[in-house]
Amino acid sequence: MILFVVLIGVGFSVLSNKTNSKVSIPSTVSAADGYGIVLNKDAKVKVDLWEDFQCPNCRNFEAVAGGYINDLVRAGKIRVAFHPMTFIGPESILAAAAAACTVDSGKFLEMHMALYESQPAKENSGTWTNAALKVIAATAGDASSATQSCIDSGKYVNWTKNIEADAATKNVNSTPTMFINGKQLDQTHYLNLAALKADFAALGVK
Amino acid sequence: MKVQPWATLLARLVLGVVLLLAGYLKAQTPSKAQMAVRAYRLLPVSIANLFGLVLPWLEIGAGILLIVGIAVRYSSLFGGALMLLFVGAISQAWARGLSIDCGCFGGGGEVAAGHTKYLQEILRDLGLTATAIFLYLYPHGKFGIDKAKLEGAHLE
Repeated sequence: MILFVVLIGVGFSVLSNKTNSKVSIPSTVSAADGYGIVLNKDAKVKVDLWEDFQCPNCRNFEAVAGGYINDLVRAGKIRVAFHPMTFIGPESILAAAAAACTVDSGKFLEMHMALYESQPAKENSGTWTNAALKVIAATAGDASSATQSCIDSGKYVNWTKNIEADAATKNVNSTPTMFINGKQLDQTHYLNLAALKADFAALGVK
Repeated sequence: MKVQPWATLLARLVLGVVLLLAGYLKAQTPSKAQMAVRAYRLLPVSIANLFGLVLPWLEIGAGILLIVGIAVRYSSLFGGALMLLFVGAISQAWARGLSIDCGCFGGGGEVAAGHTKYLQEILRDLGLTATAIFLYLYPHGKFGIDKAKLEGAHLE
């Protein structure tokens, strides 16, 4: 009987952690990009960023390099695929889903930064409810009713599981993890803006 | 008063509760559990991911068996083997200079250098290995549902 419980448990875990191609996905997202949110899909230098909105190191990275990366994106100089992971807890799921809701209004970068700027001091504190996330979206410049109902309905919650399943296959074991043209960023460069700029400059991105 | 039956009960509860709790916490955050196994860099990624999903349930199963006192020899053998496996895995991570959290009670993955707790984790798991060995040698104790008692009940 215990064996039965174990097998059911394993079956459940395996099935619920697989990618589901039938879930609602944000625009700019595709399976080919590991279901990440892609900005500037045709740019030559390809960046992949795995992060969790509740992760303190990710907040530090955003504080140091976020403005610079956003400038590069807005100038069309780099292609970035954002993979918001959700392993820290349920609020990571809500935050990632809320960020996905802002893609259609073109406010994803603003929402991305706003989330880190309002990251609670403690993980899983209960602060990030859908109501709180709607307020953050508004401060990021997206108070549209489409985004609000998207957040309230949890439209992209299931999409976050696809990101997790993809991150598992890509062997991402900490956040933030950034790849530039397939090469993982040096661990010391996340909080060293000069070094990060040099990495991009070496690829012709200034 | 004979001490051994009570010692067996205590050992069953210690090992059983630890395994049940460890499995339960991991099962609650499956993607984190998978990350924990991958971070050891021992198994190929897809196998590591599968192991991360399967392990928690094996721990839960073994934990329940030990707490209730069924198949104590098998479950203590399994639990002890698991602990030795963990000791080996943590030791190799330490030796290779990896910076990871063992992920033993949920959590896991890479951590900042200097934030590792390898010695504590290894000592704890060696203690649990010893507990498992004791249980394997003395599986029959208080409040256990073991064959000897069941057969005895039938004969009466």
